[in-house]
Amino acid sequence: MKTIPSVAALLLAAVLSSAQAQKVIRVWHTETQPNSQEAVRNIAKRFEAKHPGVKVEVEALAWGDLEGKIMASLAAGTPPELSHGQPITCAALQSKGLLLPLDEVVQALGEANIWDQVKRVCRVGGKQYGLVHAAGTSLLIYRKDLAQKLGLKPPRTWADLVANAKAFTTGGMYGITIPGDNLFINILLGELLKANGGIFFDRQNRPQLSSRPMLETLEFIRDLTRYAPPGWEGHGYLETFTNLYGQKAAMMYQGYGRGAGLIEKGALPSMANAEHFDVWVKPVGPSGREPAAQVDEEPWMLFKGSKNPKEAVEFLKFFYQKDNYLEYVQTVPIHLFPITKSLRADRDYQATPMIQRWKSWIEVQEGYLNNDQGKPTLVIDWDDMNSKPYLMEVLGSGILRDMVMDVALENKSPREAASRAQRRLEDLLKSKGYLK
Amino acid sequence: MLLFFTAFPFAWMIATAFKRSHEIFTTPPTLLPESLTLENVARLFEQTRFAVYLGNSVLVATCTVLVTLAIATPAAYALTRFRFRGREAISATVLFTYMFAPIMVIIPFYVLMRTLELTNTRAGLVLAYTAFCLPFALWLLRTFFQSIPLDLEEAALVDGASRPRAVLHVVLPLALPGVVATGTFTFILAWNDYIFARVLLAADELKTLPVGIADLYNASVVDWGMIMSAGMLVLLPVLAVFVFIQKYLVAGWGSGGIKG
Amino acid sequence: MTAARTGWLLVLPALLLLAALTVYPVAYGIWISFFSKHSFFPEQQFVGLGNYAAVLADEEFWRSLELGLIYSLTTIALQLAIGVAAALLLNEAFPGRGLARAVSIFPYVVPTVVAVIIWKWLLNSQFGLVNYLLGIPVSWMGRDWIMVSLIIVSVWQFFPFVLLAVLARLQSIPPELYEAATVDGAGAWRRFVHVTLPQLQSVLFVVVLLRSIWMFTKFDTPWLMIQGGGAETYIRTLPIYTYQRTFAYYEAGRGSAMAVIMFLMLVAAAALYFHFWRREEQL
Repeated sequence: MKTIPSVAALLLAAVLSSAQAQKVIRVWHTETQPNSQEAVRNIAKRFEAKHPGVKVEVEALAWGDLEGKIMASLAAGTPPELSHGQPITCAALQSKGLLLPLDEVVQALGEANIWDQVKRVCRVGGKQYGLVHAAGTSLLIYRKDLAQKLGLKPPRTWADLVANAKAFTTGGMYGITIPGDNLFINILLGELLKANGGIFFDRQNRPQLSSRPMLETLEFIRDLTRYAPPGWEGHGYLETFTNLYGQKAAMMYQGYGRGAGLIEKGALPSMANAEHFDVWVKPVGPSGREPAAQVDEEPWMLFKGSKNPKEAVEFLKFFYQKDNYLEYVQTVPIHLFPITKSLRADRDYQATPMIQRWKSWIEVQEGYLNNDQGKPTLVIDWDDMNSKPYLMEVLGSGILRDMVMDVALENKSPREAASRAQRRLEDLLKSKGYLK
Repeated sequence: MLLFFTAFPFAWMIATAFKRSHEIFTTPPTLLPESLTLENVARLFEQTRFAVYLGNSVLVATCTVLVTLAIATPAAYALTRFRFRGREAISATVLFTYMFAPIMVIIPFYVLMRTLELTNTRAGLVLAYTAFCLPFALWLLRTFFQSIPLDLEEAALVDGASRPRAVLHVVLPLALPGVVATGTFTFILAWNDYIFARVLLAADELKTLPVGIADLYNASVVDWGMIMSAGMLVLLPVLAVFVFIQKYLVAGWGSGGIKG
Repeated sequence: MTAARTGWLLVLPALLLLAALTVYPVAYGIWISFFSKHSFFPEQQFVGLGNYAAVLADEEFWRSLELGLIYSLTTIALQLAIGVAAALLLNEAFPGRGLARAVSIFPYVVPTVVAVIIWKWLLNSQFGLVNYLLGIPVSWMGRDWIMVSLIIVSVWQFFPFVLLAVLARLQSIPPELYEAATVDGAGAWRRFVHVTLPQLQSVLFVVVLLRSIWMFTKFDTPWLMIQGGGAETYIRTLPIYTYQRTFAYYEAGRGSAMAVIMFLMLVAAAALYFHFWRREEQL
C-alpha cells in the first residue's frame, strides 16, 4: 500500500520536473557576426548547464527584421523575455509600459561599476529599463599613410573636412565613403546636427528642420558627398568598409570599431594596421561648439508579459559575469566596449591582442564617452530619450533620409527639402497625437 | 543568350565560392579561381549552423508538398467532375485570396498561430505554406483535370468499375504530370519563402535556409566567399531533385496516351 | 451518396483550411483598416474611412503606386516574352535539350534570398563582374539604376515560371494538328499563329493573371534588394511602402487600408481582364 503514494510522489516529481523543463527564455539579439552569435550560444549553453529545467532560445536578428519581429510578438501578446533594441525603441516601449526594470541586474553588477554614460540610456524615474549590452561610438576613419603623403591635418571644422575629402580624391580614389541606407543616414544627420548645435524638435514637439543649424548640416552633406563614390546612396554599412580597405575611398565618416576587424580580414596584409587606417576626432559645424558622435549602444529590454522574466534576469546576470562577458566583447573587441569599469580595467581584457593593435581607435572612443559627446541615434540631449517617445517612428518613416537625398541627389535646395520634410514630420506627429 | 543569362550568375557564384579571400576583390577579376580552396565552405560549416538550416528547409518543404497535394488533389477533382452549388464561387474566392498582399496577412496570421500554439514550430510553418500554396495548387490541378476527357472515365464506369477505381486507374495516371508539376511549384514556394519563416520562427535551430542566409548576408556582407559557398550548397540538393523531376515530367506525358 | 455530396466532401478540407488560414486574416485586415490602430499597442479607435482618405491624399502613396506599376508591368512583359520564346526554343528537339531545360528553369527554384545575393555580387559597383565586363562604373544599387537591377533580378527569377507552364502545354499539343497544318502548306510562323497560339491561350490566360497578381504584391525581392544597402527610395513599391507604414510608422490601420486599396485595384483589373478575355474568346 505504501508503494502507491511513493509512486504518486515520483510521478508528481516527474510531472513537476517536466513542467520545469519547459521554462524557456527567448533571447533576441542583433550581433549577427558569426563569432558573436556563437559566443551568445555558448553563454546560453553554460547557463542551461547551471540551471537545469531552463532552456535558452537564442536568435540573432538582422536590423531590418528586428523591429517588425518585436512588434508581431507584442501584437500577439507573446514577447520574448529579452531583446536588443535601439535606445529610442526602448524609450518608446517604456513609455507604453511594456518593459520591466532591470535594476536587479544593475545591482548585481554594482551600480557604481557601470559607466555613467551607459546608465542614461532608457532610465526613467530612477529605474533602469534598458541595460546596454556594449557600447561603441561612430568613428571618422581615414587613410593615415595617404594623409601624411598629402600633408593633411586633422580637420577641426566641416570646411576642413570637405577640403581633406577633396584633397584625397585623386585617380580612382574617392575622398569619403558614407552608407546610404535609412538607419545610417539618420545616425549621420543626428550627430552632425548635434555637432552644429541644432535640435530636431522643440519642447512643443514642433520639428525644427528649417532652422539654420539644420540647413547648414544639409549643405555640408551635399558638399561632402561630392567626393563620395557615385552611387554611394546604394552602399550599405558593411559595403562602405570594403570601399575603405579595398582602396576605393580614403575616409569613412560613419565608421565603427567593427571596421578594425574587417580591415584585418580584408585589407592587404601589409596595410591592415593602424598606421594605414587611423581615426580622427570628428570636426565641428559652423554653428557648433564641440564634436559629436553617435553611440551604438543597444540596451537589453525585458518584456512585461513574457513568460519567464525572473529566469531572464538570472540569465542577464550570468551574461555580464566576467568570463561570459569577456568572451562576448572579444568577438568584436574594438566595437563592443564593456559597460562595466571592472572589465575595462581587467588585465585579461586589456591584453586582448586587437585592443593592443588598435589603441588609437579605443582612445578616441573613450574621449567621446568620457566627455559625454556620444549620444544614441537622433538623441541630442539625454532628456530626449524620455520626452520624445516618437523618435522611433521618425527614424522608421525615412522622412529625414528623403530630405538628405533630396539635397544630395535631387539638387533641391536645403530650404526646399527641409520644408517638405517639415510638412511630412508634422503630419506624422499630428496623427500620433504628439503635436496639436 | 538565354543560357548565358540564366547560367552565368551560377557560374560566377561557384567560381567565387572557391576563391581565396584576397582573390575575390582583385581587379581585374579572375574568371576561374587561381587555386581552388575549400576554406569558404569550411568556414561556413564551422562558423554558422548551415547544416541545421538545410535540414529544416528540406523537411518543411517536403511536408508542405505532401499535405498540400493530399488536400488539393481531391478538391480539384471534385471541382471539375461534380456539379454542386457554389462550385464556381469557390474557384473565384480562391483567386481573390491571392490579391490581398501577403505581407498584410502576416500579423493576423501570427496571432492565429499563437492561439493555436503553433508559432515557433515547424508544423506551424508547414500549415502556413499549405494555406499559402493551396489556392494556386487548386487552380493548377483543376486545369489539368479539366484537360482529361470525361469519356475515358465514363467508359471505365460503364465497364463496371467503381468511381474510386476509375479515378485511381484512369484519371490519376493521366493527371500525374499535373500532380508532379503542382508538387514542384508547392515545393518551390515553401523552399523560397522568407517572410513567413522570418515572422513565425524564433529559435535558431528551427530557421530555414532563406532566413539563415539572409542573416548571414547581413552579418558578413563582405565575406563574399562564404556567402557564395552558402548559395552554392543551397542549390546542390535542389539541382538533384530537379533533374529527377524533369525526367518524371517527360515520362508522365509519354505514358499519358491521350493529350487534351 | 449523391454526386453533389461527394463533391462537397472532397472540397471541404481545402475549404476549411482556406477559411481559417487565409480568409480570416484577410477579413481581419479589412476590419482593422477602419480603425486608427497602432501596430502593436492595443488601443484602437474607429475612424470610418479616415485611413482611406489619408492614403489617397498621401503623395508618397501615389509615388509608390507609380513605382509598383513600373516594376510589375515591366517585369511581367519581359517574363512573358522571354518565357514564351524560351519555351518554344526548348520544345524543339536538339542535343542537350534536357540539360538546357533544367538550366533555364533552375533560377525559379533558387530562394529569393540567394537570387538577390548572387546579383548583388554580380552588380557590386566596386568589385562586381558586370561593371568590369561592361567597363563602366555603373552603381547598380544607386538612385539611377536600382530599379533596373531589381527588374533584372525579378525577370531572371520568374521567367522560368512562364517557361515551365508554357512548355508543359506545348508538349500536350497533338502533333496531328501540326501535321495537318503542314499539309495545308502553312509555314513556321503561320503554324505558330494558327496552331500554337490558340492552344496556348488557356495557359497564358492563367499565367498572365497569376504573374500579374504576384508581381504587383511582390514583397521579398525588392525588400531584400534594399537590405544592407540599396537606394530604397527609388524602389519603394506599394507593398514595400505598405509594409513600412505598418512596421515603421506603426500605423496598422493605415497600412491595412493601403492593402485593401491594393486588393481593390487588383479585383478591378482582374474583372476587366476576365471581361476582355471572354469577349475575345467568343469572337
